[in-house]
Amino acid sequence: MSKKRLPCSRECGVVPVSHRPSGVGEKLTLAELPVGAAATIIKVVPNSRGGRKFADVGLVAGTELLMEAHAPFGGLLRVKLLGTSMALHRNDAVNIILENK
Amino acid sequence: MKKTFTIALAGNPNCGKTCIFNALTGARQHVGNYPGVTVESKSGRFVLNDLEIRLIDLPGVYSLSSSSPEEEIVFQELTTPGIDLVLNVIDSTIPQRSFYLTTQLAELHIPMLIALNMSDDAEKKGLRFDLEKLERYFGAPVVPTVGNRRNGVRKLLAKLAETLEKLETHGSPMLSYGPDIDDAINVLSERIESLKLEACRNIPPRFFAIKLLEHDSCVRKLAAFAPLLEPAEEQIRHLRRSHAIDTDTFLADRRYAMLAGACRDAITITGERRREISDKIDVVMTNRYLGLPIFFLIIYCTFWFTFTLADPLMGYIEDGFALLADLVKGIWPETAAPYLRSLLTDGVIGGVGGVLVFLPNILFLFFAIAILEDSGYMARAAFVMDGVMRKFGLQGRSFVPLVLGFGCTVPAVMATRCIESERDRKTTILILPLMSCGARLPIYALLIPAFFAAKYQAFMMWLIYVIGVVTALVAARILKSTLCRGEGEICLMELPPYRMPTLKSLLLHMWDRGRMYVQKAGTIILFTSIVLYFCNTWPEKTDFSTDYDAAIAELSANQEETDSQSEAVAALENARQAERMEYTISGRIGHAFEPLFRPIGFDWKLTTAAIGALAAKEVFVSQLGILYAEGEADEESAPLRERLIEAYTPLQGFCIMLFCLLSIPCLATLAVIRRELNSWKLTFAEAGGLFVLAYLVTFLVYQIGSWLQIGTKLIG
Repeated sequence: MSKKRLPCSRECGVVPVSHRPSGVGEKLTLAELPVGAAATIIKVVPNSRGGRKFADVGLVAGTELLMEAHAPFGGLLRVKLLGTSMALHRNDAVNIILENK
Repeated sequence: MKKTFTIALAGNPNCGKTCIFNALTGARQHVGNYPGVTVESKSGRFVLNDLEIRLIDLPGVYSLSSSSPEEEIVFQELTTPGIDLVLNVIDSTIPQRSFYLTTQLAELHIPMLIALNMSDDAEKKGLRFDLEKLERYFGAPVVPTVGNRRNGVRKLLAKLAETLEKLETHGSPMLSYGPDIDDAINVLSERIESLKLEACRNIPPRFFAIKLLEHDSCVRKLAAFAPLLEPAEEQIRHLRRSHAIDTDTFLADRRYAMLAGACRDAITITGERRREISDKIDVVMTNRYLGLPIFFLIIYCTFWFTFTLADPLMGYIEDGFALLADLVKGIWPETAAPYLRSLLTDGVIGGVGGVLVFLPNILFLFFAIAILEDSGYMARAAFVMDGVMRKFGLQGRSFVPLVLGFGCTVPAVMATRCIESERDRKTTILILPLMSCGARLPIYALLIPAFFAAKYQAFMMWLIYVIGVVTALVAARILKSTLCRGEGEICLMELPPYRMPTLKSLLLHMWDRGRMYVQKAGTIILFTSIVLYFCNTWPEKTDFSTDYDAAIAELSANQEETDSQSEAVAALENARQAERMEYTISGRIGHAFEPLFRPIGFDWKLTTAAIGALAAKEVFVSQLGILYAEGEADEESAPLRERLIEAYTPLQGFCIMLFCLLSIPCLATLAVIRRELNSWKLTFAEAGGLFVLAYLVTFLVYQIGSWLQIGTKLIG
């Protein structure tokens, strides 16, 4: 797993092992990922709203990400990917399909 | 003649591009707007080894895919001939993300220089860059920089001079999207090549081929590419069929995959800190429960800072203008062109001074905002407030401008620039005048103690503010479902790591805003001051109902100097002033509009005052003072209050406040709304809409109140 040590492999960098959900290999959407959990994007629903914008910041298949926080009252999620924290909405996050590691 | 080199500065948002820009150009910069959109354009000049250089600071973008106004502008600027070099700034602590834009810039085949910014932070993180490999990969020289340190750009300057010397021999990138996609790109490139397009004089066909495969809206819009749309679709279909590519963003996918490989090759890591300080701070700052209280505390501190520090300075400015007026009066003899003399001292100096008094407020406020902005907190504030604001059809970033609106609507409208979504920005600007600004406070402070018993006073004040806020939020909802309708734009917001703001950038930011405000005072306010002065003084009445001069002379001659005597003289002076006022254009307009305003409980005096309030809301109080012949009035004026109690019912008093709260904002606000919305039509619609709203609400309250006999007598 030496690849994982590299900052430029497509991982988010911060993976608190203790918080990982148990279901390894399980598929879920980004909206369902609990805070503190990490996963890999396996697919972004084609032609979803804002798909291009998401792709431009690295929300593409193969990217690893970490759910950092949920905003108070509502839909904003804070996700870390490629070393940057990005906030996006739950309704858009359902289009991003992940696989637990 | 020496050639001027034009360099475009490109990079992601938050990559420290502005720092580099400031370090290179210093204060010699020009800030403006791109026509038609509210994206700021910035350019500056500097001299490097006898080379004259013009630096254009392009908006920060993640990509060149024309999916936002900023990206469209970057695309247009870069594809327009005349750019000699692209200076690509990279946040070297997150190389893989930053190089995504670099790959697209490299495809433009414009000579490029890559600045690995924040190289000190990257070093601390343990990142080692193989510069030679990177240079070969992107076909462009690479240089490490530290934008926020004094000597951080020295290497950059040397490299820049070197690169400009040999622009002709710049290398080409080794970028491959994999054989399947490369084939499609090549087929399309050849088609484009054969068309011999004007657009391809500076930019290679390959770039456009990639853009066509990406469904780039800017390229597809160009008429010259119309014959290529179908071949592009054909290629995409082919890729789908034979290579099992099923996403519409396959180029982005490949680009990231390609970069992962390149970075693995050219960057090594020696140590890794698992959790950065910034993340630790955020565990508290954006906490689900603590986030909001912390946000409110920080906003409170911002206001406290702004108003406490600015207060004494405002006093000095006020005194300064009073002194200036006196000085002019002293030098200018009363007999020489008295109109002009009075226009200059009372109209111009008074009017412009009255607005410039708020300059310290504006400067401190924007200094504080710059701290929040530059440190990275503003994005967190938007994050924690988003849920609440969204319930009203707004978004997290709308909150700060709305709160600023309680101070002064002008800077609040200027602060809406941080809202990226055009529709949300428009909505926020349009509802901002409903947040009761500081200049309306004197009106309430005059009327509430006059008409309401002490125990109700605080409640009335609260009620007025709440009415404003509720109306604003309802208006936001209505606007979002009518004028600013549309599917909500997707929200994708970066929360950059916390950084210590540099004093230089804070001061530059403050100076930018301050300068705008002063410009406004020098133009629109100057103009309205003159017009209002004219309306308030002309035509001059010479023929009074009583001979005031004689009456005053009689009083002064007959009696000893006593208080009652000087009071009587003052009363006469004021009565004369009131008669003068009634005779002027303002007075006549007040009379003319009285029938319109009667149903909302206004007489001609209130009407005149409401018209005067267009210049500045607090003018309402001083106009009433003149009309009720109490001379110099302010909100502490007890005699004016007594006159008002005699003349109006508490219901009318309430209606006055209601009308002042909801009606057309001051002209300064309208002017800044016009500039920020970039539309006369919307500005007039805003003014008209607010007037109708204020009229209707006040009408209903007054009529229903009169009918139900509420507040027709003094309570308490």
